[in-house]
Amino acid sequence: MNQAEKEQYLREYALLKNEGKPFFPYAVAKDAIMAVIVMAVIMLLSLLFGAELGPAVNPTTTTYVPRPDWYFFFLFELLRVMRNAPKLTDMATIGLPTLMMIGLFLLPLYDRSPERLITRRPVALAAGIATILCMAYLTYTGAEVGSPNQLVLPIPAGLTKAQKATFLAGEIIVGESGCEGCHEIGTYGNNGPGPLLTHIGSILRPGGIASTLKNPTAPMPSFAGLAKSSPKKFEELVQFLSMLHYKSSSWTG
Amino acid sequence: MPEDPHSKSSKYTADRGMPGAFEGETVTRRRFMSAVTHGAGGIAAASFGLPALGFAIGPVFKRTQWPWQIIGRPEDFVETVYSTKIVTMVQGIGDAGKTVAYVRKRDPAIDTEPHDQYNNYIALWNRCMHLGCPVRYVQAAERFICPCHGGIYNFRGQVAGGPPVRPLDRFYTYSPPPGERGHGYVYLGPPYAVNSELQRLSLRDPAQPLDGIGQYFYPPQFDTAKVPSLQHLPLPPTVPGT
Amino acid sequence: MAIIGSRGRTTAPLPPAQSDELTRPEAAAEAGLTVVNWIDERAQLSQGLRWMMFRKVPKGINWAYTLGSATMFAFLNQAVTGVFLAMYYRPSVTGGAYQSTRNIIDNVFLGQFVLSMHLYGAYLMIVLIFLHMARVFFFGAYKYPRELSWIIGVVLLILTLAMGFTGYLLPFDQRSYWATIVGVNINGTAPFLGPYISDFLRGGPEFGATTLSRFYAIHMMLIPGLMAALIGFHLYLVMKLGISAPPWLKAQEPEVAIEKVEV
Repeated sequence: MNQAEKEQYLREYALLKNEGKPFFPYAVAKDAIMAVIVMAVIMLLSLLFGAELGPAVNPTTTTYVPRPDWYFFFLFELLRVMRNAPKLTDMATIGLPTLMMIGLFLLPLYDRSPERLITRRPVALAAGIATILCMAYLTYTGAEVGSPNQLVLPIPAGLTKAQKATFLAGEIIVGESGCEGCHEIGTYGNNGPGPLLTHIGSILRPGGIASTLKNPTAPMPSFAGLAKSSPKKFEELVQFLSMLHYKSSSWTG
Repeated sequence: MPEDPHSKSSKYTADRGMPGAFEGETVTRRRFMSAVTHGAGGIAAASFGLPALGFAIGPVFKRTQWPWQIIGRPEDFVETVYSTKIVTMVQGIGDAGKTVAYVRKRDPAIDTEPHDQYNNYIALWNRCMHLGCPVRYVQAAERFICPCHGGIYNFRGQVAGGPPVRPLDRFYTYSPPPGERGHGYVYLGPPYAVNSELQRLSLRDPAQPLDGIGQYFYPPQFDTAKVPSLQHLPLPPTVPGT
Repeated sequence: MAIIGSRGRTTAPLPPAQSDELTRPEAAAEAGLTVVNWIDERAQLSQGLRWMMFRKVPKGINWAYTLGSATMFAFLNQAVTGVFLAMYYRPSVTGGAYQSTRNIIDNVFLGQFVLSMHLYGAYLMIVLIFLHMARVFFFGAYKYPRELSWIIGVVLLILTLAMGFTGYLLPFDQRSYWATIVGVNINGTAPFLGPYISDFLRGGPEFGATTLSRFYAIHMMLIPGLMAALIGFHLYLVMKLGISAPPWLKAQEPEVAIEKVEV
């Protein structure tokens, strides 16, 4: 904005202000009603949900799954999105948030056009909506992330009772064997370094799955030990994996 | 043009015609008083500000004391399975000061890093090197898996996938030979960081890489504990009646 | 007059000529007015207050303009509930923090309610601050002459998130602990300074005895003090520069002379 535009703005603003109403009671009334609404929401949430206290601090846990509060989910998810690029870890933790903050700080210094109506500021409109969508997406997916030691899939249709039992046992074995560390199964697990298992049953026959588990390609560990120590578990694992025929495109789990 | 004795540019106040100016005076009283005000105010603010600041940042420069602690007997540990040991990280704060070490016996077939008296037993800290979440050892997969952002480590604690920037931190371990004080026990010493070749380096926080260009961004902290002396290894409390 | 003021409203003696003409509430109102007048005669606040309250706001102010004051109201809620929670809370690592929080929830009268209000107040404050920010962004209200208000607002946003982070540790349950560990390590990834920032936040190389009291002091005194001061400055700027008009409104050609318009 140059000097003429600044003066023009001040003049127009003075006119609009002159046509306006006194702050008290007209604007204050709205503020007060809003304050009542804010308090009502706070009290309602307090009464409905309350505050709960988790288990006491125990740094020696090996099973606890740390998750941030919802307003840091975006950062949590950002770190997960960047997980396959360890060299960029500090970009995700410090770099990107710092850049965003600097961008916000300096906004009035680099956006100096006199136009205020959002429909005539296409760049600002696009940037604003993109930021909101990104934050919403990251927050939503961050909230959806499960524990890597747990797997709960929708049970495929048309299974017998025995097959259902195997399916449920298989979920537990996959959870405690750490498969999700490297493989993605539906919305669970990590995408890489291992291949997608969502429809592994359509790709490999049970025999193929068993031999892959026993003699995998590095870096996957061999599950020959499991086959030896508890053949039943190994068999259930193989049966479970061969039951995975989900379509990743129509995933609803 | 002859020099004007009352010129504004003269440095002598007397030359500038100030009332009550002293001979040879160059600083006006107004300037002097404002300098005194600023100086005194600055000194007063610094005199409470600096000690408070030092008080707050003092712990940054502290060195940790780290005693040896007993984690078991040599026969408790095998080469193929990690056993989980709860160790004290910070003295005097109860459960909040404890942490977990995964310990196994050194296996010369796979542990190719140089062998010395401090790594007869391999003790890995369960702190993920991405951001410090507690990793879990999964025996079936022989992997350490982090529940937060998908870090995976292999049996030796090296990164097998995900975002961690270096292998799991380790602890010094020591098992005194026969005839030495403490023989028959395995002791756990201070933690240290390792780079991808498993070279010992001073301890750093998670997410601080020790390979490539990244290592120069993160100076080692002042607080790295030294390996404590082996002279005064603690002995287990004797049980009365035995 | 000084004596009347210090005795309060109801017991204030009134001039005898009026006392039998006034009913009790009227007398009380009269006495209250006297107190206000006494204070104003010395402090002369009414002039500033009149300037603040009866300044004009531009045409077209709508409900989106209440988000800022709603955020401030949530902050007040946090301040008040926080002070009262501090009466029962003990920042001790060796069990005191967790037990005192448990005590607030289980035993203290209305403890669960006040703690919940502090929790959901924080959530709501974060939501409102983002909504307020979006409103300012889309209305272009951060432009001349209100650039400084925006910059202070961004500082307030960062401080609010820092409040969320430091407050998270205080109940000292598993969530608190691990969120803090991760959060401190995130700060530690700042190049060159990171390791020192982590040590400063923890008060040492590891999570130790003073980490909790450090976070407590930051959460309870350092950041709220800064925030209160900055909110004051933010509000001063809002009043001095005026509330921005909705960008879709265009000023009509004036019938009165511009010189008369108060800016």
